[in-house]
Amino acid sequence: MAEAGTFSSREPVDFVIIGSGAAGGVMAKELSTAGHSVVLLEQGPYLQAGDFKHDEWGYKHNGDLVWGRRQGHPQSFRKTENDEAIEREVCLGYAHNVGGSSVHFSGNFWRFRPIDFNEASVLGPISGTTFVDWPISYDELEPYYTKVDWEVGVSGLQGPWDPPRSRDYPCPPMPVKSSGVILERAGRQLGYNPYPAPVAILSQSHNGRPACIHCGFCNGFGCEVNAKSSSMATMIPLALASGNCELRTSATVSRINTDESGRANEVVYWDARGDEQAQRANAVVLCANGAETPRLLLLSESELFPDGLANTSGMVGRNLMFNGWSSAEGLFDEPINGHKSIPTTRVIHDFYSMDPSLGFYGGGGIDSRHPSDGLPMGSALSSGMFGGPRWGSEYKKLLREEFTRTVAFHGHTTSLPQATNTVTLDPNLQDKWGRPALRTTYTDHPDDISTMLFFQDRSVELLDAAGATKINRIPIGEQDGNVHILGTCRMGNDPDNSVIDRFNRSHDVPNLFMCDGSSLVTGGRGQPTMTIMALAFRAADYIIGAARRNEI
Amino acid sequence: MKKQLSRRAFLRASSDAARGSCLVLTMPMILTACRRAEEAVINEEEFLNLSEEEVTEYAAIAARIIPTDETPGATEAGVIYFIDQVLGHGREQERLILQEGLRELQAATALKPSASYFHELDELQQDHLLLEFEDTEFFGTIRYLTIAGMFSSPEYRGNRDNIGFDLLGFEDRHAWASPYGYYDADYVDKGE
Repeated sequence: MAEAGTFSSREPVDFVIIGSGAAGGVMAKELSTAGHSVVLLEQGPYLQAGDFKHDEWGYKHNGDLVWGRRQGHPQSFRKTENDEAIEREVCLGYAHNVGGSSVHFSGNFWRFRPIDFNEASVLGPISGTTFVDWPISYDELEPYYTKVDWEVGVSGLQGPWDPPRSRDYPCPPMPVKSSGVILERAGRQLGYNPYPAPVAILSQSHNGRPACIHCGFCNGFGCEVNAKSSSMATMIPLALASGNCELRTSATVSRINTDESGRANEVVYWDARGDEQAQRANAVVLCANGAETPRLLLLSESELFPDGLANTSGMVGRNLMFNGWSSAEGLFDEPINGHKSIPTTRVIHDFYSMDPSLGFYGGGGIDSRHPSDGLPMGSALSSGMFGGPRWGSEYKKLLREEFTRTVAFHGHTTSLPQATNTVTLDPNLQDKWGRPALRTTYTDHPDDISTMLFFQDRSVELLDAAGATKINRIPIGEQDGNVHILGTCRMGNDPDNSVIDRFNRSHDVPNLFMCDGSSLVTGGRGQPTMTIMALAFRAADYIIGAARRNEI
Repeated sequence: MKKQLSRRAFLRASSDAARGSCLVLTMPMILTACRRAEEAVINEEEFLNLSEEEVTEYAAIAARIIPTDETPGATEAGVIYFIDQVLGHGREQERLILQEGLRELQAATALKPSASYFHELDELQQDHLLLEFEDTEFFGTIRYLTIAGMFSSPEYRGNRDNIGFDLLGFEDRHAWASPYGYYDADYVDKGE
């Protein structure tokens, strides 16, 4: 399907962008509105507000957006490279549609803070990890965070621990929910500083889009009124309106080709009919997310690049980070009704950086939500959470109480980079196109587990202070999959141990850029999407300038 | 040799269960729900994937996971139609787990006097037997599908008349306005 401008595949366009998600959407809008010809390739369909439904089974259990084995995209997982990888329905979860996971994510939009960019030099090295500083600072990224705030649309209120910002939020915070009130009151009682959660969901109309109508189907769902600030709702329409961007959906990329000098010159893909196509390009921007970006580079091996494209460092696919997660759930006397409105309205960031004297590295934030995202089926599956029966008449009696009167305090925490945590090509498993499947190798660092436990203890204390009549700890186990897929083509100044430079340009291939979750050097505190978008605005700014100077 | 169950026998059994449950109910909403469930089976909706034996046995298990008591349960919600539909969509593995598990459950049933099918046991016997299977992959799978059929969108043929949503206190609306719950109303009242 072609939209807006159309370009010949045999004539090189200025840029082919692979992936239309959080970063790819921003990139397409910036480059096309600056006057460059852009072909944007997306493997999924162009679903828009009118296509989305309150369909928990389809979206959360059938893989309608996050494709898996049933859609012909199996994955595999192993803890270490010595283990056999086991086939899985899904391991690394991301939405396959225009806008990528920015369409179905929760909308939580925390900026990283200054400490996230230089934490390794502040704390010193951590054994067994590749924990290093970023090559850029918060100050360098701040103008682009503000660009995200205003161009994409963010609602919030500057909090006591927030990093400095050059401009206020464009939209006030979302109205507080009962779950937020419970966290705020408990937090104050314990001497913390709860404040409104910043979200990429509009509390009032902005840039021609309407305010949220609080239907409650955010996390895992596409917004039915375009109040969620996905790149699909915010950036893609502007890119298409420029007349310089052609969006090709159902376009599954198989490899990036290079010429004799090692420059990227062509992107090969299957179109919607399954026919192989190749689009020539003067430059390629790879925004396919922390799973697909390294897979595509590894698939693009050649005589010139025997270990995969842009991989002389050997770092493509390494340093995979997930973000830690922990949770405790509490039952309250009165209706909370967490299924109404957005996932979370209050957050506590008093443990963003933890005291080093605890003996382990970590940090994060706590927010309050419905334990099952307010979803009927998810809630019923977990009912009996406080030790009650899991089926039968007594179970049935618990359903309403646990659906309407529970809250969960989630800890969103750090995940240390380790070279042994990887995304690689599975030699024994293929997707429906015959490409080697994504194989994830991942073991949490012990400090990541300690941090999750620390945050769960704080969540339990907060629930207790809030007057929960029953409390349940969700068991903390080793992670074997995630929707945050970070660090697999890390940014750095040294070509020997990083894949891209400080402006997202490949160290090895001068006209190839990678920009998405794979670029992150550290994983922040659990909400990476805003930083991914800010990096895309910054990289696009650089690319436009470099193109003007004829430096690509 | 096990006797074969006719579709008609299943439909009659389901219909009787639905009607029976209505006898002890007074809420008009529930009566309507039960009537609809009865209509659904009277309409003889086709089963797309399951055999008659599977239909009858899985429906009986689902009816113990979410029983019909003061409120309608899995039977009235048409959970079995959901299970029938989704097992046809690339869920061969789950189908096999259910089929193998059912054979084991029936083998255990045969140890009881006067029954060779699970659905022929009385409710107490059924519950006791299911307790023995509670930790199996089979029970986990049928529980998962029963809950899915009870609480997913009615477009998948379960959750008839939003019976599951009503049980939870969930209303599938497209817009809400604050106050959403007790605590945020109180927060506003107190001017916090």
